[in-house]
Amino acid sequence: MTEPTDPDLIALATPYALHAVPETELADIERRVSAAPPDVAQAFDDEVRAVRETMAAVSAATAVEPPHQLRDRLLTEVSSDPVRVLRPKRWQTIVLAAAAALVIGLGALGVGMALRPTPSPSTAEQVFAAPDVRTVSGAIPSGGTATVVFSREKNAGVLVMNNVAPPQPGTVYQMWLVDAKGPHSAGTMDAKNVAPSTTAVLPDLGDSQTLAFTVEPPGGSAQPTSAPFAKLPLV
Amino acid sequence: MPVARLPLVTTELDALLRQVARRDVDAFATFYDRTRARVFGLVTRVLRDPGYSEETTQDIYLQVWRTADSYDPSAGSPLAWLMTLAHRRAVDRVRSEQAASQRESRYGAANVDPPSDQVADSVILRDERRQVADCLGSLTDAQRECIQLAYYDGLTYVQVSERLSANLATIKSRMRDAIRGLRRCLGMT
Repeated sequence: MTEPTDPDLIALATPYALHAVPETELADIERRVSAAPPDVAQAFDDEVRAVRETMAAVSAATAVEPPHQLRDRLLTEVSSDPVRVLRPKRWQTIVLAAAAALVIGLGALGVGMALRPTPSPSTAEQVFAAPDVRTVSGAIPSGGTATVVFSREKNAGVLVMNNVAPPQPGTVYQMWLVDAKGPHSAGTMDAKNVAPSTTAVLPDLGDSQTLAFTVEPPGGSAQPTSAPFAKLPLV
Repeated sequence: MPVARLPLVTTELDALLRQVARRDVDAFATFYDRTRARVFGLVTRVLRDPGYSEETTQDIYLQVWRTADSYDPSAGSPLAWLMTLAHRRAVDRVRSEQAASQRESRYGAANVDPPSDQVADSVILRDERRQVADCLGSLTDAQRECIQLAYYDGLTYVQVSERLSANLATIKSRMRDAIRGLRRCLGMT
């Protein structure tokens, strides 16, 4: 293990991972970790991760079966999740309407996909209805187009990808919202997600100025590991 | 004698989580069945109230349903992701209850053995439970007490140090040593 060069900070990793630091210290610890040299930040993260894996294993010791009705309640709740029920039909309607209005010539759209966080028809509706709605579109070098309809006021956007080739086996496409502090993951798509037409909600634009796409290993990466193959300026 | 690495069915949970991220209700049901006893057991251990525990467990799994695609395999196992989420929720709940009602904190000697009539009826889980209980038993009393107070009673390390009249550095290193001892004993290092 790396010999930590900030022992005070590293010593907080275990209580931090156990959710045992006072709320008042949390932000300070997180700031210190993000400002720490890479080896210190890595040592902190390794320790947090080790604690979490350990306590996950320890959870066997306290296992207790929950009441049976909880299962029924949960399944009822998620089965009636309005996003799930409404999405395919409403997505087509909304995106096609928007496409017509904005004259961006989209083809017929497939079913929406689940990105982080879950796409919600209301977010898309709000974006399309926003007074400051904007559209940016660009060609993907390997073929197809990516279009983002977005609103700063609603702090959200809708990404539509047309005729974009699926990622190579063993890779995913990852989207990044890039602001002054760098890229923040906006979700991944694997080969199954990329239909001839693919839509996704970008729920939190923040101060991002660019939407970038990279090829990443399955599950995506915390930070881009390759140069973007496409970028769209969100201005 | 080294203990074999625990069968945490990571690959299966990982695949299920991906399906849950695509709004697959059947996958969600299976994910719940594979993990429910761990989650409900931990929440119950922290909250000690059946009603609150059931409510909080429901919130936890609804959060799983909504945020499954935020799970990042490179950051840890699916079970660690789930149990971290579950523990955070339980601790938040216990702290808000404490703030609201100055709930009497029952603490004392660490007791990691749940009543036998509540033992989950999974052979694998029973086997794991025995291994983990043995490992918890291999910690020093002081280490186990720290884990009990911080992890199961939801106290901060500052409160633990006050409770045990020990300085902060001592408490932090006891916590760290406890985790290291558990990892070694569980064959996770």
